[in-house]
Amino acid sequence: MSAAESAPRRGLDPRRFWRRLLRILSARDSLVGRLIRLASTYFTVALIVTGIALTAYFHEVTMHRFQERVGQIADSLFSVTNIDADGVDTSRFVDARSAIVHSGLYWQVGEVGANGAIVSAVTSRSLWDEQLPLPPGVLRDARAHSGSSVFYDGMGPVNEPLRVAVIYSRVNNKPYVFMAGEDSSPVEHDVRTFALLTAAALLVLALGALAAIFIQVRVGLRPLFDLTDEIAHVQSGEQQRLTKTYPAEIRPVAHQLNAFLDHAQEVVERQRMHVGNLAHALKTPLSVLMTSAGDSGDALAQTVRKQAETMRAQVDHHLRRARAAARSKAMGERTPVEPVLDELAVMLEQVFQDKGVVVDWRAPDDLAFRGERQDLQEIAGNLMENACIWCRRKVMIHAEFDAADQTVSLSVEDDGPGLAESRFDEVLKRGARLDESVPGSGLGLSIVDELVRAYGGTLSFGRSGWGGLKVTAHLPGGRTAS
Amino acid sequence: MRILLAEDDPDLARQLKTSLSDAGYVVDHAPDGEEAHFLGDTEPYDCVILDLGLPKIDGVSVLERWRRDGKTTPVLILTARGAWSDKVSGFDAGADDYLTKPFHTEELLARLRALVRRAAGHAQPMLTCGGLRLDPRAARASVNGEPLRLTSLEYRLLHYLMLHQNRVISRTELVEHLYDQDFDRDSNTIEVFMGRLRKKIGGDRIETVRGLGYRLKPLHDEVGSL
Repeated sequence: MSAAESAPRRGLDPRRFWRRLLRILSARDSLVGRLIRLASTYFTVALIVTGIALTAYFHEVTMHRFQERVGQIADSLFSVTNIDADGVDTSRFVDARSAIVHSGLYWQVGEVGANGAIVSAVTSRSLWDEQLPLPPGVLRDARAHSGSSVFYDGMGPVNEPLRVAVIYSRVNNKPYVFMAGEDSSPVEHDVRTFALLTAAALLVLALGALAAIFIQVRVGLRPLFDLTDEIAHVQSGEQQRLTKTYPAEIRPVAHQLNAFLDHAQEVVERQRMHVGNLAHALKTPLSVLMTSAGDSGDALAQTVRKQAETMRAQVDHHLRRARAAARSKAMGERTPVEPVLDELAVMLEQVFQDKGVVVDWRAPDDLAFRGERQDLQEIAGNLMENACIWCRRKVMIHAEFDAADQTVSLSVEDDGPGLAESRFDEVLKRGARLDESVPGSGLGLSIVDELVRAYGGTLSFGRSGWGGLKVTAHLPGGRTAS
Repeated sequence: MRILLAEDDPDLARQLKTSLSDAGYVVDHAPDGEEAHFLGDTEPYDCVILDLGLPKIDGVSVLERWRRDGKTTPVLILTARGAWSDKVSGFDAGADDYLTKPFHTEELLARLRALVRRAAGHAQPMLTCGGLRLDPRAARASVNGEPLRLTSLEYRLLHYLMLHQNRVISRTELVEHLYDQDFDRDSNTIEVFMGRLRKKIGGDRIETVRGLGYRLKPLHDEVGSL
């Protein structure tokens, strides 16, 4: 349930969320990244186009309105101005703004000379002692559309951008221009503000959409992440097969994986059965050989007995090795350590009852071995049996979990005579028996060593607190879910 | 001494029968699980040597049936696979000792002698506390008829508690009776054993009296039925 729990937490912590988003987006091989990149590329292009179109349209509309206004001013100037022999009379044109110097609204009425320049002009007070310029191209244009406004962009007396409307008309056979200009910078400013606001809004929209896409993809692809989690659990031995129900698209994959896991399990099982049968088939005849030879003391009997013993050791060695190899490749299980130690302790104390052996152990309740129960029984059983054989009275087992490298250390100590350090290697040698007088196959430790190695663990020797031998097996471990 | 030898391999069976007869035992041989079960069920044997890989009915099942029917005859199991899982399942079914094939005849004889001697211990009174029963002779305990699997330290602890039931026993007293002189006496370990014992016999039977110690008592409904 950790995925479901972490989802709202992810939502609550925006910094983590964005960091995660960035990481996923930048990962080239991520499916989520791919989906999001694809969606966000389209989205970004669409938003940029929208932004540009909106701004352009707004610009267009505002400019048009502005120009219309300027045109209207020029129109009214044209219609109220009276030109006669006394000159140009603009007194009927009343406009408060143009009466203020450099206010941004200007007009003038001028007579056009033969060279296209304005000869004499009546100007608004706002122009003070300057005139609105009349570029020749505009004059030509205005002459062509006599009586109606033509426009151009010019500069005002204080270098402000102006939109100027020009009406050309002949009055009393003299050419006149009626011009009105207004500062267009407030309009430009409006357009810029609009563009900025639009961009900001679209950016917010884009980021929100990106987050929405991300969440949708994560949620949509959750079954895939679940599958990954489950596979990891199978690998770490927390579960045997895939158990969740998956959507139709990946259900075949889950089914195939389960079939594969079952098959692997079956192969291991078959292998084990085969190995067990083989061992059984060989060992009873060996028993017969040894028992028949054991009754007699002559040289032949001794040779037969010795060779049968060697054969048994060889059979044990190779069969166990094959078995260990077959098992370690199987997908893991989790075996709680405590019950295994308990049942072995009870059993061995009963077997070594006459000797009065006391087997004691300490293990956390939730400690687990990442492997099969039979293998843990084999490892612990052999180590504990050895300790029971060699001890005087006491055997102690400690099982501990090392969280750092996820291992279980299983140490078995006894109060027996112990072992010189120089002989530690010898113990592991196949079939080695350090003391022929003490019963036991002599294979115990080499079997343990092989098994431990098959699980990628190690076996180490030391001196116990009582002066006896201490054997420690480091094995893959974990904790059982309680 | 009468012994039942349940072994399917004719050669091994013949040899063992000869060795056992030479050692003074009267031996009956059963070549399969069915016959072994029948003989063990009807004849009073002092000990049974039981091969786990028997045809018809396997050794573990035979043993389980005997134990279910209340047969306490000591049983030594023979296993060819030598796997600890086999040995453990044999012990779970009620075996008393095991030998892995191939083995030396002398070792089999030694184990047999020990088993017979153990089984012939002096009778001592049975201890009971509600549904708990403890048989000091066989060093076996059961709860509501289900046999308990106890380690020797757990058994010692339970034995002492049952001898002094309904009395509060201090930790120090328990430590002294639990360990021999040469053991490290750490009173914390008592808690470990109390935990395990409670798990095996049911938590309510052992009461912790704060600052004083522990008390074993029958369960409430058991008091009523007594």
